[in-house]
Formats: sequence, structure tokens, C-alpha cells
Amino acid sequence: MGVIASARSGSPVMKRKGIAQGREAITGYLFILVPMLLFLVLNIGSIFYSLYISVWQWNIRSGPETFLGTKNYFKVLGDPIFQQAVTNTLYYTVVWVPLAMALGLFLAVLVNQKIRGQKFFRAAFYFPAIASSAAITVLWIFLLEPDGLFNAARAALGVNPIFAFLGYTDSQNWLGDSSTAMNSIIILNAWTTSGTFMLFYLASLQAISHELYEAAAIDGATAVQAFWRITFPLLKPAHYFVATVAVIGGLQLFDQAYLAGGVDGAPANSMMTMVLYLYFAAFKLFDFGYAAAVGIILFVLIFSATLLQRRLFGGTPSW
Amino acid sequence: MTNVIASLDPRLTPEPPPAVTPVVSPVGDRWARRRRRIAVLLMIAYAVLMFVPFSWSVITSFKTLPDSVRMTFLPDPFTTAGWEYAFNTLDPSLPALFLNSAAIAAAVTVTNLVLGSLAGYAFARLRFPGREALFLIVLATLMIPDQLRLVPVYLMLNGAGLTRGFAQYIGVVTVLAISGTSIFFMRQYFLTIPKDLEEAARIDGAGFFTTFLRVMLPLAGPALATVAVLQFQGTWNGFFWPLIILQDRAHWTLPLALAGFRLAGGFTTNWPPQMATIVMATLPILVLYLFFQRYFVPSVAKTGMTG
Repeated sequence: MGVIASARSGSPVMKRKGIAQGREAITGYLFILVPMLLFLVLNIGSIFYSLYISVWQWNIRSGPETFLGTKNYFKVLGDPIFQQAVTNTLYYTVVWVPLAMALGLFLAVLVNQKIRGQKFFRAAFYFPAIASSAAITVLWIFLLEPDGLFNAARAALGVNPIFAFLGYTDSQNWLGDSSTAMNSIIILNAWTTSGTFMLFYLASLQAISHELYEAAAIDGATAVQAFWRITFPLLKPAHYFVATVAVIGGLQLFDQAYLAGGVDGAPANSMMTMVLYLYFAAFKLFDFGYAAAVGIILFVLIFSATLLQRRLFGGTPSW
Repeated sequence: MTNVIASLDPRLTPEPPPAVTPVVSPVGDRWARRRRRIAVLLMIAYAVLMFVPFSWSVITSFKTLPDSVRMTFLPDPFTTAGWEYAFNTLDPSLPALFLNSAAIAAAVTVTNLVLGSLAGYAFARLRFPGREALFLIVLATLMIPDQLRLVPVYLMLNGAGLTRGFAQYIGVVTVLAISGTSIFFMRQYFLTIPKDLEEAARIDGAGFFTTFLRVMLPLAGPALATVAVLQFQGTWNGFFWPLIILQDRAHWTLPLALAGFRLAGGFTTNWPPQMATIVMATLPILVLYLFFQRYFVPSVAKTGMTG
């Protein structure tokens, strides 16, 4: 573009400049070529391909077989296992998000104190968030076995009467019982992600002026009052940000559910989540047209949840 | 750890220097001290709670199977049978799984570094028509969740023969080859580097690529380290795409083996080798974390922001 424009202008200086610009543009395109091609095919292209696949009875070898229109979509929405998956995922998100946020905030307040070993604690609390989800989940399964460390530890601590009062037996099979399986995963994930949320909150906590607390102390406020009246409200942007990130993550629960419950979300579909259902449709039913429809429905659900939160909370995270 | 314990015991804690105290009001100080003590106790408790599961996996990996379900902190008898099983009997063996994980994580790290720094530099510095629009596409890719891409990407790879045999490795690396986060992160970093150096190089007659390679890249060390750590850790732990693409057990990574051996048989309740696999899956990230901790923290903020 620049080359043609300046070549017409005639002056040799302008011409050289024009060639340089042309070379710069070509270099620019070359530098971004491979990523843009991959994005074009695997991201942008996959959206349109997905829409196309979803209206067919799709054969893995030969491709489209029978045109189904919107039938796949209605079949997904009408499937009781899918409905179960949506319910389970919403339950998980509604319980896990506040729990992980509260734990993250609690840890952030703790490690924000000026004490020795502060760096060690921050590092230690963040570690579960960066370790392999598969490793931690299998470890969790091991600890929660009927004869595992958790049941043994509560017996040793003598707290079994409390558990019995809540209706749990001494050798409760936490992940094998459909009434406790999802809650066990909720606690696991609250533990692992609390480190990430701690770091998000910590950044905001450090921005709060110390003078506010001094003033509150002079007015005779207690530490608890100062937390609820000063810290908590001032963290509003952080709450919104963490909540948005958490909800998106919660709706996409997959690894832990698959590792603990397999492709069917055992026991009794209690661990079937929306993304696990997608995997189930594609790699157990091998119905790719149907699975593509599931993918699009999930995208719409997750995207509307994100938009809804942005509408509710206002400010979007800046890029 | 000793420091923390020392600060709990008033006799071991030296009196704070008087020069510091007048700044803080006496009321706030009394608060702060009590609060700090409670905080330390809670943090130690939580750190112990955090330490137990990981150390339990190490301990159990050296136990015998009947001993593995006993609540004893020392293996009795101490045995390497679990590790031997993982090395010799498991199919694929633990070293093979480790190599698969390492090779894929290394390949994805390299592609992200090369493609991310080139594209990041182009978006930050080179002028070309459509640059802003193309960069918006990069950002848009971060909004497209993997579940929407599962079916079409799998079918595309399948059509290209990248879901069978050795080509599965190529398939998984292709899908993870470049993340919008890497490009975004490199671009933001290049934008902070002053233009003077680059212009000097250009005046000396260096081409765009030479300027990028000799002048800009050496200055981008921290950004490259962040992208490398983020990608290596993410791919090493990666579960979703490897599960879909690496369907031959010979190509499994450590996380896939943990799932596969559990769900498809191998070691449902054979805990010691399973714990050995967990240790192998966790240890490299722990080592990476100990040495490059500062590169982990900013990456959190970035991944968080990009969803």
C-alpha cells in the first residue's frame, strides 16, 4: 500500500521510505503468519465448523450423513442426563465460588500481616494451585477412601460423634456415595484454588491505605469491625473480578469430575458436569453432531453467564 | 520455619527498635501484635494441612500395599516395591510417561516462545495494515472456550491423521502451539522497551529480524521466562486436550496415566505405584516453582485476566 503511494510521488527519498515501509509490513505479516493461521483454523474456523457439524447426524469417518436441523439441540436440552449435568454444575458453582473466595480472602488477610516467614506462607499456599490437577485429585481420592487417611484421622481425633450426628458413618465412602461425592470435590477445589484467589486479593489488599486502619483504631474500632467496615467494602472491585473468574472456571469443571467419576460421572451421574457431558457425548456415544450441539449450548450458557456478570458488576477487567 | 516459631515465643523475639514504634499509634500497635500472633498460628495450621497430603503421597509410595492404608507416618517395612512396579510393570512405565510429559511440555514451551515473541514483537513495533484488527482476533481467541472447540478440532485433527499413532504428539502440540496469552504478554513487554536502541540498530543497517533477534529479544528475558514457566507448567499439568488427542496409552502423559490407570484398570487400589506417579507428576513443578517462583506470580494475574 505504502509502496505504491510513495512510488508515484517520484522523489527518491520518498521512494526509499516507501520500500522500507513495504518491507516492514511484509516482515510484520511473516512474524504473525503461523499463529494467525492456527487461530484462523483452530479457533475462528472451529466455531463455524462446529455450527455446521451440529445440524447433522455425523459419522466420524464419512462426515455428514443425515441433515437434522435443530434436532440435535432439542435432543440435548431434553436429555435428563444433560439436565442433571446442568444442575450439578450449577450446584458446584454456587457452593464452590463463595467458599473458594472466602478462603482466598481469609488467606490473603493472613499473609498480608507483617510477620516473618510471610513469603514462605504465600508460596506454600499458592502451590496447590499450580500442581497437576490429576495428581491432586487422585491424591484426594486416596485420602478420602473408606479406609483412607481422612477417616482414620477423624477417628483418631475423636470427632466421629459429630460426623455421626451429621449422618456420616465411620467408614464413609465420600467419593463413592452420590450424596457426598460432589461436595468432596467442592472442598478439594476450594483448597486448590484458594491460593490463586489469595494472590488476587492480596494485590488489592496492599493498595488499601494503612491510615484508614489507624483512624479506625483511634475511634476504638475492633479488628473485626475494621475488616467488615473498611477492608471488605474497599475490596469490591477485587470481589467482582475474582467472582467473574471463578464462575467461568466453575462452569467448566471437568478434570476432577472425570478423574473421580469417570466418563459417566459416577456414582449415579452425581459427578456429571456440563463439560464432562460434552466429553461423554463425543467419546462414549461417538455422536459428534450431538456433541457439537452440546459444545455450542455450553458456550452460550457460559458466555451469557459472563455477560450477565459484567452487566451486574460493571467494570470489565482491563486487558 | 524456625523464624516463624521464634516469633511466636516472646522470649526469642527481640524487642522492636524504638525508632519504629512512634510512627504507629499505640492502639493500632496492640491490635497488630495480637492479630499477628493469631495469624501466625492459623498460617502454621493451614501450612501443615497443606503439607500433609503431599508428604503422605511420598510416604505411601515407599509402603507395601497392606501398609498403605494404615495411618503410620513411617513406612513399615520400607520398600521400593511401589516404585519398582511403576518402573517395570506399569505399561507405559513411569520413565516413559515422564518422557512423554517432558517432551510435550518442552515442545509447547518452545513453540510458544518462538511464535509468541515474533508475533508479540510484530504487534508491538512493526507497522502494517490491519494490525489492530488482527490483534483483536488474538484477544478474541482467549474468549473462545475449549469446549466449543472440542468436536471441530478433534475432527480436523482426525481428518489430518493427527489422532493416530505417533502423529498424536504432533496433534497435541499443534493445538497448544501458540496461546493468545503468550502473544499478548510478549507484546505488552515489548511495548515497555524504549525505542532508542531499536532505532540505533536500524540506523546501523540491521534488518527487522536482526533487530528483533539481537536487540529486542535479549532485553525481553523476564517476559520470555514468564511465558516459558506458564506454558511449561500449563502443559505439564494439561489434561483436557491430551485426554482427547493422546488416546494411545503409549503416548500418555503423567496426568493421563493417573486417570487411565484408575479408570481403565492398572492400579485402582494399588496405591504405592499410584503415589509414585503422583510424586513424579508433582515434583518437576515443585522444583520449577522453587527456582522460578517470581515468574509464577505475575502469570497468575495474566491468566486470570484472560479467563
